[in-house]
Amino acid sequence: MTEDTTAGKLITGDGRTHVGSGLMRESLVSAKLIAETDAGEIRPMVPDITMIAIGGSSIMDRGAEAVLPLTDEIAALNREGYKFILGVGGGARSRHTLAIGLDLGLPLGGLARIVGGVEEQNRDMLQFLLAPHGAVTLIKDHFQDLQLFLSRGMIPVCIGQPPYHFWEPPPKDGRLPENGSDVGLFLMAEIVGAPTMVFVKDVDGVYDEDPRKNPNATRFETISAAELLERNLRDLPVEREVLRCLENSRLLTSIVVINGREPKQLRDFLEGKPVGTRIHNRRYAETEG
Amino acid sequence: MVERRDGKIWVDGLTTQFTGQSLSSLDLIESERDHPTRPVLPDLWVVKVGGQSIMDRGASAVNPIVEQIVAARKAGQQILVGTGGGTRARHAYAIGLDLGMPTAMLARIGGSVPVQNARMLQMMTAKDGGIMCYPDDFEKLPLYLQLGTLPIMSGMPPFEFWEKAPEIGRIPANRTDAGVYLIAEFFGAKGVLFVKDEDGLYTDDPKKNTNATFIPEIAARELLDGGQDDLVVERAVLEYLERAKSVKEIRVLNGLVDGNVTRALRGENVGTVIRASTA
Repeated sequence: MTEDTTAGKLITGDGRTHVGSGLMRESLVSAKLIAETDAGEIRPMVPDITMIAIGGSSIMDRGAEAVLPLTDEIAALNREGYKFILGVGGGARSRHTLAIGLDLGLPLGGLARIVGGVEEQNRDMLQFLLAPHGAVTLIKDHFQDLQLFLSRGMIPVCIGQPPYHFWEPPPKDGRLPENGSDVGLFLMAEIVGAPTMVFVKDVDGVYDEDPRKNPNATRFETISAAELLERNLRDLPVEREVLRCLENSRLLTSIVVINGREPKQLRDFLEGKPVGTRIHNRRYAETEG
Repeated sequence: MVERRDGKIWVDGLTTQFTGQSLSSLDLIESERDHPTRPVLPDLWVVKVGGQSIMDRGASAVNPIVEQIVAARKAGQQILVGTGGGTRARHAYAIGLDLGMPTAMLARIGGSVPVQNARMLQMMTAKDGGIMCYPDDFEKLPLYLQLGTLPIMSGMPPFEFWEKAPEIGRIPANRTDAGVYLIAEFFGAKGVLFVKDEDGLYTDDPKKNTNATFIPEIAARELLDGGQDDLVVERAVLEYLERAKSVKEIRVLNGLVDGNVTRALRGENVGTVIRASTA
């Protein structure tokens, strides 16, 4: 098992003792102190698990024709022993919620508070569909019970929206929460310590232009988050903030965007075959090399 | 037969300006950038009582501040109190870092200490209406305020396992200053006071450098760009101030100077005002 051989190295980073004593008397705001805490390896929590993010608009809103082939594949993969968390976004009803909320003048934190309600509907639908195969709902308060579910072969299903609620930080641009379901699921994958995760959407990956508008658009097989941010594409199949999170994440060093309308792509991803678009950060080469 | 639009199941009325667009679309973000915000509780003062700077000093620092807050509340001011963590939070971070824990785990364990501090303040103010206010209680805040109570919360935002890894280091960027500021921004609060043990902002840490000079008023952007190693509030607060829609200034004051909290709640400037550069 690869994780066992690395586990011994995880606690052997430099600078930890120094950090420990430094924190006691320094302000946590000090840039010097913060830089010192950069050193040292980080332990994963539940590393042998995959986060599967299922698009609200791209998959759920299509109904049976898109959802059922995908849940069939997920059930089969679970039977074969793959462990994963299923997360889901909101889709058209999230957009409707935001449009009405914005028109009412609700502040940012108010929009963030209400938008997750739609995702709960999608989560419950997925859990219902997969219940015969062991699906259970995973809510925030039971996050630390994850191993209980996984050890029994269950499929935890959760919403994506991070629990920032009224505390949603102001976005770098605009008036809408920049932390949506993609961000929330990315952050869950990072804390469990998964090295990669998959976003199941309705396009074959990330293209240099919108493939629906330009049939000659080219798909990236791999691209760095930094380059993708730099390109400042007018639209992206994942939330822009995910790319910024990826830039800083330590254990989760890449994400893959696949087309859930071809459920075999999910199998290919789990079997480690090249599929969709892999977006990676600067630490990806280190972990793979 | 179910109605569809672009292959998605659709119903009448579901179409809005956001339909068919991803929420990452720059067109969408730019079109809604200047949409107005309605204040939620515009008469509310949000007062943060520092962890290391106030709570950890014990009764000599805490008692006079509590008395001033209670007096202002009894005089009719709407006040929400938030607490910092302080020394025990730092100790937990130090152990967590030593054990190889990621940022989000530190955010989770860091959240327990400000809750302890909030409970201490609640017990101290119970006879005067002090009540604990958890994240799920905030929609009842109007009731609490109308009943004349003094709601007290942990300053920590409820991000926990969802706290993002910062660019540098592993300490969570959003701690109790950020949590208090963000909830004030949500409420469109009348003002935010950070009650600490310094008169406000200095050119350097006055505890270490006696030549540090006092700054009565400054733009958040200027502070961020200034390259100071240490700051009186979390950097995240300064970033958020610059992007805020409602609360575009915060006040940092010395709670160890008797009467400062009372004066600040009357709207007087008794410390440093940090403003968004656009404010």
